[in-house]
Amino acid sequence: MARDMCIKVRIEAFAALGKMQRVSEGVLLQSLSKKVIKTDTMSGCIINGQKLPPKLIIPCAAGIFAHGIEDEFYQVRSAACTSLGALAKFSSQYAEKALDLLMDMMNDDTEAVRLQTLQALFHMATYGYLSMQEKHMHMFLGLLVDANALIRNAARKILGLVNLPKLQMFKSAVDGLITSLEKNPEEQDIYGILFSIGKNHGSFSANVAKHLAKEIAMASDGELILDKPRIKALLIVSISAPFSDDKHKKLDIPSIIFSHAVPLLGKVSCALGEEVNQDSLLSYLCHKGGMPFWGSRSISAEFGESESCKIETVEVGNQIENTAKATKCLDRVLVMQAIESILQTVEGAWTMKTSCNICEAQTILRTCNKELKVLAENSSGSVGAFLSFLCEYLVAIRLIVEIWLLIQLDNSQAFGLTSHDILLEKLDISVRRMECCYAGLNRELEVQVLELALLANLLGLSKIGACSKVVLGKLLWVINRLEGLCADGSCELSDFSREIKKAFDANPGDTLIDNIHTLFEFFRLKPTTDFGMLKATSAVLQVCDNNSENPLSYICGLPVGVSFNISLWNISSHHRLWLRMSIGESVQHTFLEFSSFEGNEEVKTCSMVVPLDSTPMAHSFVLRVCLLMECSYGSISTNQGGHGGPSDCVVQLSDELDVYFVRIGQR
Amino acid sequence: MAIECLVLGAGQEVGKSCVVATIAGKRVMFDCGMHMGYHDRRHYPDFARALAAWGALDFTSALSCVVITHFHLDHIGALPYFTEVCGYHGPIYMTYPTKALAPFMLEDYRKVTMDQRGEAEQYSYEDILRCMKKVIPLDLKQTVQVDKDLVIRAYYAGHVLGAAMIYAKAGDAAMVYTGDYNMTPDRHLGAAQIDRLKLDLLITESTYAKTIRDSKHAREREFLKAVHKCVSGGGKVLIPTFALGRAQELCMLLDDYWERMNLKIPIYFSAGLTIQANMYYKMLIGWTSQKIKDSHAVHNSFDFKHVCHFERSFINNPGPCVLFATPGMISGGFSLEAFKKWAPSEKNLITLPGYCVAGTVGHKLMSGKTTKIVLDKDTHIDVRCQIHQLAFSPHTDSKGIMDLTEFLSPKHVILVHGEKPQMAFLKERIESELGMPCFYPANNESVSIPTTHTLKMSTTERFITSCAAEQGKQSLRKRNLIHGTGASEVNGSDEAAAEGVLVMEKHKAPKILCEDELLQVLGMERHLVQFEAMGSSRIEAAVEWELKRAEAADLGSEENE
Repeated sequence: MARDMCIKVRIEAFAALGKMQRVSEGVLLQSLSKKVIKTDTMSGCIINGQKLPPKLIIPCAAGIFAHGIEDEFYQVRSAACTSLGALAKFSSQYAEKALDLLMDMMNDDTEAVRLQTLQALFHMATYGYLSMQEKHMHMFLGLLVDANALIRNAARKILGLVNLPKLQMFKSAVDGLITSLEKNPEEQDIYGILFSIGKNHGSFSANVAKHLAKEIAMASDGELILDKPRIKALLIVSISAPFSDDKHKKLDIPSIIFSHAVPLLGKVSCALGEEVNQDSLLSYLCHKGGMPFWGSRSISAEFGESESCKIETVEVGNQIENTAKATKCLDRVLVMQAIESILQTVEGAWTMKTSCNICEAQTILRTCNKELKVLAENSSGSVGAFLSFLCEYLVAIRLIVEIWLLIQLDNSQAFGLTSHDILLEKLDISVRRMECCYAGLNRELEVQVLELALLANLLGLSKIGACSKVVLGKLLWVINRLEGLCADGSCELSDFSREIKKAFDANPGDTLIDNIHTLFEFFRLKPTTDFGMLKATSAVLQVCDNNSENPLSYICGLPVGVSFNISLWNISSHHRLWLRMSIGESVQHTFLEFSSFEGNEEVKTCSMVVPLDSTPMAHSFVLRVCLLMECSYGSISTNQGGHGGPSDCVVQLSDELDVYFVRIGQR
Repeated sequence: MAIECLVLGAGQEVGKSCVVATIAGKRVMFDCGMHMGYHDRRHYPDFARALAAWGALDFTSALSCVVITHFHLDHIGALPYFTEVCGYHGPIYMTYPTKALAPFMLEDYRKVTMDQRGEAEQYSYEDILRCMKKVIPLDLKQTVQVDKDLVIRAYYAGHVLGAAMIYAKAGDAAMVYTGDYNMTPDRHLGAAQIDRLKLDLLITESTYAKTIRDSKHAREREFLKAVHKCVSGGGKVLIPTFALGRAQELCMLLDDYWERMNLKIPIYFSAGLTIQANMYYKMLIGWTSQKIKDSHAVHNSFDFKHVCHFERSFINNPGPCVLFATPGMISGGFSLEAFKKWAPSEKNLITLPGYCVAGTVGHKLMSGKTTKIVLDKDTHIDVRCQIHQLAFSPHTDSKGIMDLTEFLSPKHVILVHGEKPQMAFLKERIESELGMPCFYPANNESVSIPTTHTLKMSTTERFITSCAAEQGKQSLRKRNLIHGTGASEVNGSDEAAAEGVLVMEKHKAPKILCEDELLQVLGMERHLVQFEAMGSSRIEAAVEWELKRAEAADLGSEENE
């Protein structure tokens, strides 16, 4: 059929040949050669499990592919190429010979055939049947500088996968890629290919590295310009060696290579893909290059005011040694170091507030807060939780400083809602969030939070100026908790808490207010960096198919159901969750049954329809919904309930969501 | 009836192809070539002897027509001699490209023989022109009614531009004369293409009767590699070629490679003939390969992008270049001039064609490590350049011949245009593998081939149905075997014959019937004769019986072969 006079028959015949599932090596080899192979081993040719006398098969299989690739019609040729490649999986001997034929096809005059051939080669390479030989190199290197970008790209991809048995071939492949790079500097993926070639041939690239090191050493400063594609390419090849799979050989790459490779960081990390992030790679290169790792170079640029923090390169270097796990470790170490430096800055800023330079302290705190937020966005797990906790902490500190400023500036008693009140409320919320929204607070963190709460209440007293029962009650509760925490003697009450306790015991109320300044001075900011298994509780609230363009419809005065998708993170059954829906001033709280949520310990989800009891007499309205969590402040109820809402004070778990409604008939 | 086949040339040799076939009384001459190796009377086919053998007065009355397959001199070289000197005035057929290019070839050869060998001219330029005027052009697959009985048709043969295979039919006898053909396409020509025909005789060329050629891709690759290496090293490449065919083939290859590799080195054509030939190629796009046909609307493949204008003085220019120069065997002309200039530098490269006639510079270079060539007593050339041999042959190989023969499945095969030992080998293969009687007559020998006489007869519907049913059963039994031939005819040789009754009546066309229908047709009743035996056994026999009709012709029950 493959020799039929009709082109369509031939195309189909070759396509079908490629789909053969079982075929003997003898037939395959015969199909490549027009000459009838005479061997005794031919006796058992098996096609589809049927044993057929060899005489019947061999002559008709003879040279099928040899004819196919010489066909007049490119469709037939490309079908033949595809099948040639597809059949390579059956026999290595065949694959070798098929490769010869396919290589010849690279001179075909039709681009489609050449591309198809490369595709077939790529297929062979992916499955590991492609063993490049020296005689093919010339052709292949020609393809690398082909005028057609598609061809070049396909050729490179194959080169990145194949195994080159000889150093000479390896070098010529690298040279070919370099020439290609020089001719087409816009094709940056060549670096990636260079890297993977180097990785596949560890010892060869080590050899290249040695020569390169010599060259670098020989060259005077002016001569060797890193910008030259050749040097760049060789550097990439060189540093790829340690990533190669043959671990049993110790490949010693001269350190000078690594130090020169530092400027190529971006390219290397591109070549490595997603596996490794740039920072760890940088520190790895620096370590290998024997350079002290100046964290300030990259980190201080990011972290604003924080003083240059030197990270011990040796430690870091040891940690990464090209395993992904170690890389994560390094990430964490880097983050922790960043956190430490930030917290140091914060402490510094805290001390500044006493030296009247409050504005500056504020600025520093604000910047630190921003930096933490950036870090938090890029981290996950307990580090992420801790970072968001710290953000909250910094917010609280900033509020305290601000309130302190107000207290110092204006001690007069003002009436009504002032900015002072607002700040106090904000501080209260912030502290509450720290208390409630993090599961697994360890003792140190809890003490830290409680002290903040103490301070917050103290400041609250300062505003009111008289003893508020509620505030005093809270104070007492906090002190008791603190005492309870320190009861087993594992840690001591800070001076601050002790003084407050003393003052409170002496005369709750007056003493505290009178001594507020002195007490305040006692407060020491000592943020801890030990966070254990901290988890952040949070929630996401969604309404299906609703936006301002596509509102839900309702009938005036009648209840309407809103369907929500709710996801909860790290919330356990003892938490009481509420859904707050507010239209302007009117608020409706709905209790969420925990049992209706499904999922694992960490994430729970639920979709439910919540009725909105009363709808306003309006054409349209916006319902603002958010998810609240009750947090118990002992038995002290701070919230003036009265409308069936939560009895304790609440923290907001999710962002506020707008749900749009429009009256039926208005659309 | 028979086909009488007289081989006037190219019998057990290559050169002066000329075969006269007598099909059902019609004489057709296929090709009329000259032999390049001889310069005596063996130069041309022995026309006079043939005329004597036929017992005819002149060629015009003896021959129905002459058909030329392509413009190579060993297929057309004797034509002006035959028409103008021998005086044949009958019709001559050839394809359009052959008609266009043949005068160049003939004139070129006439000049060479006159100028260089100083031979007496056998025909003049005017003879060539007069001869060409008698030619009737043919198109592919165009059926030409030469006279009342004789029909010829041309099929695409590859080989060179305009080459054709000729199908001829007279009466019931049909045959194909292939000329030279190529079963694998090359850069500018497609592969031979022919329909499935019912043939009594196939006359095929057998230049490579024993050789099986590998893929030409490998040779192309080697060639490109050598050329690229040379020009990138600053060397000059000399490609001595004949103007038609090979030059275009190689130039297309180089032009394509130049394009892909983005090379800027100039490619030159030295001779005006090549440029003229390129023009013809451009015009005759319809006769080239599929790829060129497909793309010529966008870009004519013979508009070589990288070919630059050439002047003779460029030969001394520095820097790399590629030059196509004629003649192909460096026997003189511009290719020799360039060779003298370039051979002493080891940077340069010379690619030689696969075959060079003994005595030419090309032949000396091919024979091995030549370091010095002595042209005459004053001229010595040091040869230090690289030499690359490049065998691109436009002939089909042994496998191609077998494939075509198998495809056409003629009753008989005659081999021409080949070396005797190889032909003997191929004959064996054809006879053993394909089961066809095969001949390879020498020059001036003739072979007579019996032809099948087909008789048209009518039949009844019933008979056809019963035949089909019989065949269905047969094929069911054979289903587990793979069948290559799609037998559509009842009379297929390997099919089981169907049984029927042939009725031949006077003044009526013969007719085949089914047994049961016979009585009805004859209007007779069925008679039954019974024999009673003595013993307990009883033999019954049913006999159809008919006697009465006095005029009733023979009536027999026989196999309908």
